[in-house]
Amino acid sequence: MRVLLLAALLVVSAEIRAAAQAYSPATPVPRTTSAPALRAYAIAREVEERFKLGLDADARGDWTAAAAEFARVAALRPPEPKGSTALYDLAIAYAHLHRYDDAARALRAALALDHEFLAAMANLIAVDLSRGDLQEARAVADRYVALDPQSARALYSRGLVALHAGDAATARDDFGKLLHTNPSYAIAHYDLALAEERLGNYDAAERELRAALELAPAYARARFALGVVLLREGHHGAARDEFSRAMADASADPALKNVAAAMRDAIKGP
Amino acid sequence: MLAAVLLAGSIFCGRFAVAQAASLETLLAGALVPSSSPALLGPITSTGRTGWECKPERAAASASVHAAQLPDDPNIP
Repeated sequence: MRVLLLAALLVVSAEIRAAAQAYSPATPVPRTTSAPALRAYAIAREVEERFKLGLDADARGDWTAAAAEFARVAALRPPEPKGSTALYDLAIAYAHLHRYDDAARALRAALALDHEFLAAMANLIAVDLSRGDLQEARAVADRYVALDPQSARALYSRGLVALHAGDAATARDDFGKLLHTNPSYAIAHYDLALAEERLGNYDAAERELRAALELAPAYARARFALGVVLLREGHHGAARDEFSRAMADASADPALKNVAAAMRDAIKGP
Repeated sequence: MLAAVLLAGSIFCGRFAVAQAASLETLLAGALVPSSSPALLGPITSTGRTGWECKPERAAASASVHAAQLPDDPNIP
């Protein structure tokens, strides 16, 4: 009886050990003594470790530490997709450090490695807008829209770049397409109204601004823009009312509040 | 005499109206600013942008303004 019990215990113990051995180590043990192969293993390990350290630094907002980790990964020139990803992450850290030129350089390098990296395009446009490079922003936005014509961010980004660059026709097309799939997006109605206003289509601009205000009644910039459009249409009294209301709604935006007050006061009474 | 006074007055009023219109245009210039630039898309892990788990790349490709992480507060200048 004791012999049988001992045998059963041995069998169970062997099964437990076998189950424990089924777990593989976190990093595969190198099965070579070749110096180049061992070096490649070491670099791959360093890339993974630095990615983890960089992402941890990102999470706690330590952008200097994050930039150092991702810059080291990029310098190691890992294979794709790690190379373009490290450059993309490096650019985010640089942008938070307000090093916009460095961020743009890193994103360009990421796109040179991965030509269809949409998130890198999106971030490069945002970085270019921050550094005032409308020419590159437009070129990247054109590429982004061509690669993914349905992308909301592509349409919004190119529309915004076009508005800043004075290309109201492209802005009108892009915000119009964006609203086709997102009709309740008040901000796009506002931007479309700006494009229409610049094209001299005041009735269309008024319609879009009223749609924006229907969706977001306290939208102070839309209220102000409606005042401007009404003024252009010759409706001075209605314009003055909208500027007064924009002043009330713009409590969090002192610059807009001051301009609205000046506009209201500049309009003669009836 | 009266005609001269009226003429001078109309010229003055005309100039005043032009000056007022010019000041309105000056106020308007730069007042109609486009909405804000979208926030940067977030970092990506070492596995790269491919695959359903890469949220920034999904956001970059999404047709929905919410999933695309576009500005959602109209009153943030």
